[in-house]
Amino acid sequence: MQPAPSSSMSGIASSLKKNRKIPAQQLSGSRISGGLLGLVIFSFPIVVILAIFLGTVDLETAETLFALFGEGSQRTDTIIAFQRLPRVIVGLLVGVHFALSGALLQAITRNPLADPTILGVSQGATLAVMLFLMFAVYAGNSDGSQLFTIPLEYLPLAGCLGGLIAGFAVYLLSWQSGLSPLRLTLMGIALGAVLHALAMGLLAGWGSTRMESILLWMSGSLYARGWDHLIYLLPWTVASLFFLPLLRRPVRLLQLEDDCATSFGLSVPLWRSLALAVGAGLAASAVGVVGPVGFIGLVVPHLARYLSRGTNQHFYIPIVALLGAGLVVGSDLIGRLLLSPNEVPVGIIAALLGVPVFLVLLRRYG
Amino acid sequence: MSKFQALSPNSYGAARRQKAAPFFLVTGIAAVAVTVGLLGLGIGAQYIPVSEIIRVLWLPDDSVSSIILWELRLPRMLIALLAGASLAVAGYLLQSITRNPLASPSLTGVTSGAAMLVVLAFVCLPQLISPYYYPFLALFGGTAAASITLFLSGPTLSSPLRLALAGVSVSFLAAAVTTLTLLSAGPQTGTLLFWLSGGLQGRSWSQLLIMLPWVVPGLVCVFFCLRPLALLSLGDEPAQAMGVNVRLWRSLLALLAICLSAGVVAVAGPIAFVGLCVPHMARMLGARTTGTAVALSLALGALLLVSADLFSRTLAAPRELPIGMITALIGGPIFLAIIYRQKA
Repeated sequence: MQPAPSSSMSGIASSLKKNRKIPAQQLSGSRISGGLLGLVIFSFPIVVILAIFLGTVDLETAETLFALFGEGSQRTDTIIAFQRLPRVIVGLLVGVHFALSGALLQAITRNPLADPTILGVSQGATLAVMLFLMFAVYAGNSDGSQLFTIPLEYLPLAGCLGGLIAGFAVYLLSWQSGLSPLRLTLMGIALGAVLHALAMGLLAGWGSTRMESILLWMSGSLYARGWDHLIYLLPWTVASLFFLPLLRRPVRLLQLEDDCATSFGLSVPLWRSLALAVGAGLAASAVGVVGPVGFIGLVVPHLARYLSRGTNQHFYIPIVALLGAGLVVGSDLIGRLLLSPNEVPVGIIAALLGVPVFLVLLRRYG
Repeated sequence: MSKFQALSPNSYGAARRQKAAPFFLVTGIAAVAVTVGLLGLGIGAQYIPVSEIIRVLWLPDDSVSSIILWELRLPRMLIALLAGASLAVAGYLLQSITRNPLASPSLTGVTSGAAMLVVLAFVCLPQLISPYYYPFLALFGGTAAASITLFLSGPTLSSPLRLALAGVSVSFLAAAVTTLTLLSAGPQTGTLLFWLSGGLQGRSWSQLLIMLPWVVPGLVCVFFCLRPLALLSLGDEPAQAMGVNVRLWRSLLALLAICLSAGVVAVAGPIAFVGLCVPHMARMLGARTTGTAVALSLALGALLLVSADLFSRTLAAPRELPIGMITALIGGPIFLAIIYRQKA
């Protein structure tokens, strides 16, 4: 899935050959990136451990350790087992989802700048969640009588559905005897802008009492995410793990020109649609659980590509997953500690870190 | 303008018909806009009949309807007319100088950048800054955001994809800062959010006064810049060949567009889609020359926003819908159609 450097013939040849020669200049660069890769792999468990051990409530290291093995006091058990641990695990999974989805979408749109936010998936999920919350509030409290209740546990499901519907709408609208990457991106931006305006309007017009919780959700937060949320994520993770090996070869070919990919015997419309579905599903499920965390999906594939230079291409996907998970958990840790006891939503930290990188990328690739 | 018409291959009669038609079109649409505005004066929580409107507008007295009209509805209508006109003209300016069909105050990040600085000032320095300075802040924020976007969209500015990507990410960054500020704003969040989705609720003469010095000179200036505007929309080289200082005029016209949007954003919040769609509607209605297109955009923008404001007051009465939602509902499909018709 590592993108070909260009669509020229030499690019095709080098991307298809497994053991390509590495020029001397690239070799010295690859040593630096190799060192960085080691650093990343080394620091990943440290970030995860820090995320479990540090937090608003100051716990002794020993207390935390006891709680992790279920031997702590009731207070530490609750904090560790029901708050920090699930939060970190949800963060890890969400990071994997966003990063993998970004890598897939960038590959099939042949656009190094694609990302769930840019394809409208996040905005669709936001609108759906907002509609769901408002419907739940108004169905619950019409004239003080409880008509029927809608359990709030279905919220991630609503977000996921909204994201998928938006992704599908973008797909349909940009289909014009084939799926052109340019139209896909533009249409995603356009539909995203419309959905975002609608969501903001709904929020301002009817948000009233739930305004702040919706706003918190909209900026992408891991606050109070527990084991329940894992249940919504896991099926998608498992399904994508099943699909990714199948998609490996087609996605690499899809980065070539369409004619070229066809001549390698690939059914371009079929595989592009399938890859889009997997990418959108990964992103939509993650958005449903934590809200739109932008720019993880955008930045991580680029970082991973840089770090995996000079290594075997098989490592690309694992590095993407590792980086995504580490970045989300790390941003969340920063957000928890920065203004403690207040929390800065992980999405805002990710945007503040990610957008400058994006702008540099845009300058370089666009 | 006359030079271009002399160059066009139309016969004399066709040219004269073309000259007459846009004039009637522009005056017609402007008249419709004003009529909608005047009729809207009567509609609201308190219904005021037309005869009463005319009487009270002519001779203001101390009656309830007079106070409602003069203090609430009339300034609001004027703000809607002016805001719509200036957003549309700003959109036309940006689309012409970048030769990019997607350029508009919202998609280049101007409104988000402007909104970010205003929200920051509102939350962090409420005592120090009077609302009369908000347009200045909006101007700074808008100019900064637009410069970053235009710098990033490459040397030619005309690739819709790069402009959209750069604009979206700049807006996203500005929105992240705005949300962070909002989350720490506490009880003011509601007010700010309504302002952020674009609203004219409760705007009165003082807000009109904040807006006027930015918007009216801007709109007048545009009509003195028609020649460089027309030449710039042909392309850099033709413009240069006709003796236009491309860099100077492009920056000047961009600044003019940002001034127009800054005045509106400071008062009515970032109202999306007006600047994007109205110039396209003007072109669809057959505006051939730059002058007609600007005038038509101006009239159409005023009409669009005045009707959107009327809808936002009446559709869910007594609640008010944010006007940004109405413009998104009207403008969104047009936006999608523009991209749909683009050749891949």
